[in-house]
Amino acid sequence: MSREDLKQMAQRIQDDKKKYAYTIFACNASGCIPSGSEAVFEALKNCVKDRKLEDQVRVVSCGCMGICAQGPIVRVDPDQSIYQKVTVENAHRIIDEHIIGKTPVKDMLLFSHEKEPLINSFEETFFKKQKRVVLRNCGRIDPQSIDDYIAEGGYQALEKVLKRMGPEEVIAEVKHSRLRGRGGAGYPTGLKWEVVYKYVSDKKFVVCNADEGDPGAFMDRSVIEGDPHRVLEGMIIAAYAVGAQKGYVYIRGEYATAIKPLETAIKQAKKNGFLGETIMGTTFKFDIEIRIGAGAFVCGEQTALIASIEGRRGTPRPRPPYPAEKGLWGYPTLINNVETFANISAIIVHGGEWFCETGTTKSTGTKVFSLAGKVKNTGLIEVPMGISLREIVYDIGGGILDDREFKAAQTGGPSGGCISKEYLDRPVDYESLVELGSIMGSGGLIVMDDTSDMVDVARFFMEFCMDESCGKCVPCRVGTKQMFDLLNKIYIGRGTMADLKVLEELAIFVKEASLCGLGMSAPNPLLSSLRFFKEDFLQHIQRNEKVVKPLI
Amino acid sequence: MKPPFPIEIDGKVIQVTEGQTVLEVCQANGIDIPVMCHFEGLPDVGACRLCLVELKGVPKLLPACTLRVAPNQVINTQTEKIKKYRKMIVEALFCERDHVCAICVANGNCELQDLAKKVGVDHMRFPDILQPLELDASHPYFVIDHNRCIMCTRCVRVCAEVEGAHNFDIKNRSYKVRIISDFNQPWGESKTCTSCGKCVAVCPVGALWSKSSYQGKIEKKKEAICDLIRKRKVNV
Amino acid sequence: MKKKTIGTVWLAGCSGCHMSLLDIDERMLEVLKLADIVKSPIVDGKEFPEVDIALVEGAVGSEEHLDEILHIRAKAKIVVSFGDCAVSGNVSSMRNYLKTQEVLARSYEEAESNDSKQIPNAAEILSLSHRVHPLHEVVDIDYYIPGCPPSADTIFYVLNELLNDRVPDLAVIGGPKHG
Repeated sequence: MSREDLKQMAQRIQDDKKKYAYTIFACNASGCIPSGSEAVFEALKNCVKDRKLEDQVRVVSCGCMGICAQGPIVRVDPDQSIYQKVTVENAHRIIDEHIIGKTPVKDMLLFSHEKEPLINSFEETFFKKQKRVVLRNCGRIDPQSIDDYIAEGGYQALEKVLKRMGPEEVIAEVKHSRLRGRGGAGYPTGLKWEVVYKYVSDKKFVVCNADEGDPGAFMDRSVIEGDPHRVLEGMIIAAYAVGAQKGYVYIRGEYATAIKPLETAIKQAKKNGFLGETIMGTTFKFDIEIRIGAGAFVCGEQTALIASIEGRRGTPRPRPPYPAEKGLWGYPTLINNVETFANISAIIVHGGEWFCETGTTKSTGTKVFSLAGKVKNTGLIEVPMGISLREIVYDIGGGILDDREFKAAQTGGPSGGCISKEYLDRPVDYESLVELGSIMGSGGLIVMDDTSDMVDVARFFMEFCMDESCGKCVPCRVGTKQMFDLLNKIYIGRGTMADLKVLEELAIFVKEASLCGLGMSAPNPLLSSLRFFKEDFLQHIQRNEKVVKPLI
Repeated sequence: MKPPFPIEIDGKVIQVTEGQTVLEVCQANGIDIPVMCHFEGLPDVGACRLCLVELKGVPKLLPACTLRVAPNQVINTQTEKIKKYRKMIVEALFCERDHVCAICVANGNCELQDLAKKVGVDHMRFPDILQPLELDASHPYFVIDHNRCIMCTRCVRVCAEVEGAHNFDIKNRSYKVRIISDFNQPWGESKTCTSCGKCVAVCPVGALWSKSSYQGKIEKKKEAICDLIRKRKVNV
Repeated sequence: MKKKTIGTVWLAGCSGCHMSLLDIDERMLEVLKLADIVKSPIVDGKEFPEVDIALVEGAVGSEEHLDEILHIRAKAKIVVSFGDCAVSGNVSSMRNYLKTQEVLARSYEEAESNDSKQIPNAAEILSLSHRVHPLHEVVDIDYYIPGCPPSADTIFYVLNELLNDRVPDLAVIGGPKHG
């Protein structure tokens, strides 16, 4: 298949679609399903059928559009009208009033916070400060259709790479983009690829880490649910660059709604010659298999993930050797996060230079966050790196629920930290967040208001880490339990200043002595809470001053 | 034979060859590093973290048992921080399960007890986690007392890698991890256990013992197992 | 040098550590040159007096033990956690896995040696706390002598150092030995 073939194919699919006067996108991603989006989708389809509009109106079940708090979300194109909280009962009004009557259903349109329904809903603040690279197609195509992806320019990056670029050029382009791993640690992707590329081996592997486990995080699943081919294309390009023949997507078993479109996408890619023996008519061969995890958070750690794919107990092992040298079954293995792979095709098509235009010098491009907690607009957002927390919370998030006081933003999930309001104007990039004792993480962002008790927050995350510790190394296994017990003791008002001292000592011990990233970062929520919200801890301890005999 | 090259450990320049671990080098040169999950001849897992060392230029601490020597390494094995962490690891192990030396079969013949002595743990600053665990005496010859297990996984490894039976494995996560026999069945009903006793021989504490032993009177034949592995040249 | 005072006591312990203290044999004379033992289970006296050094055997297992150790901490310049029960709970704390009532039932109602098959409940008898604590969980401890019991040599070493105003370091005599 040549570039022209692909472009013609895209044109043909687009032309095919033009016969529809309207396309209705009904969000059926994980955020909207709980609010009944599947039934809404059926209702819309039945209504179109009922009104005999099947030739003019296409109803598509699509991925996340971002405004999860207002789900189920339905968008009508080409008008770009977004309807919120659509129900089975009122779904027909979109057909009857908007499509047949040509007047948008004003009372169902997405609200702005100025309390005025907006006709052109894309002007809303929620979208204004966002920049969609990874999520470009998310909510705008049918994730189950490879045609939709190709129509949006899909697989053109792969074609470019296979036909006109050598592996070294691909790596150079990725290095040029200064893309960094979106899984959390922020290791430069191009460098990682180069390392794997340089190892000489008859077998190499590419692994996509979709074991998203942070509480409150739903970025990776949304990308896969909404645009699975983008991830596959990134993986295939990576495989070509590093010289791998086989790839795995390691995804949590809980993500049934993401596994299905991914399976479909792999089948379609094989059928269309983007995966398999002679990819796009070249001699390059690559195949992708899905490996379903059993829900252990630690399997998101690279070496534990490798063990799990190999069929062993998912526990980490000491590094070095790194997976790039000795990964799956001892062969060089490239492991990247879903979002990292999802950035690749855009970098190849538009160039690394274009990618650097967004973001800061050290953190280029965009980052997808799942905005959760006490903000008005919870949902899935993609913002340029370097945006301030204030913009995320107040502009995109629409401010704190009930207009209460902002207290803290938690980034990076159980490996991250809590950032206090003094730092709301700090840019969100890898370095600044680390400076504040947190991490970028995979992109969970939980906003807390003044009713949140930081001891309780620290206790929650510690309990999570304690439960999810694999139990292999002593500091993490015992340390997280001891820290949780101490936090609990403090929380219930029985802690002393001595306990606080031991707690801090334990936190640093676990951070420095643990085997893998889980243990090394498990104390982060606690340490950052202690740093910014020590008052909360002292209040709990002062309550204990009155208790004379605390022990018996 | 590959040519030796020098590395620096605790200020001493030592000639090493590629493929050696830092632990091996230290042991051969009289540098005392405490170990727990390490057992000569078994594959190292780097789990107990007692052998952590500082490698110049690397921000994190690395376990000597899995760290391979490389040219220009400068390693410190006895810094204040490392000594403190060794102590904390021993404290953590003592408080994790029910380690009452006085009534233990391994009293006086226990690596955990010796470790406390060596690293100077005179009391445990953390409270006992207090998790009552089972004792499985269903095997005709041996007993496993999970209350005394420190999850070094030597028994798992010796059974799988040396005996080749793979009777033992691990279940659960976090502090709830346990050694299991077959698919979490009573040891006595195991279809894979050959009753060879290697697990009992390598257990550093009093978690595994033969029914003929009693308080303070356990006999461990660790050297025999090391010897066996050497003679068989088990490639691990 | 002014003669120092030593007080010893046992809480939830078996008296084994005190036996071991007696095992320092003739070296007791050296101790007595430097100090008077003003309170111990075999020295009369109702209340624990002010002392320079208190050797406390046993864990805290009842309200009475708690009152006693708080009192001793207030009266003694140096408190030594003496023996494994004091240091880690040891055998005394094995009942932490059980409910207090279960322990009492097993010890009295089910015990073959108890003819009355009744749990004694006189007010003067100490009431068990629901959990046994090592001393340092209740008060600040200055020095620890682990061991079940600690060897006579260890005990003498620590006493001798303290009486000569030196800081005992168990590493000098091979390190702290539990059990």
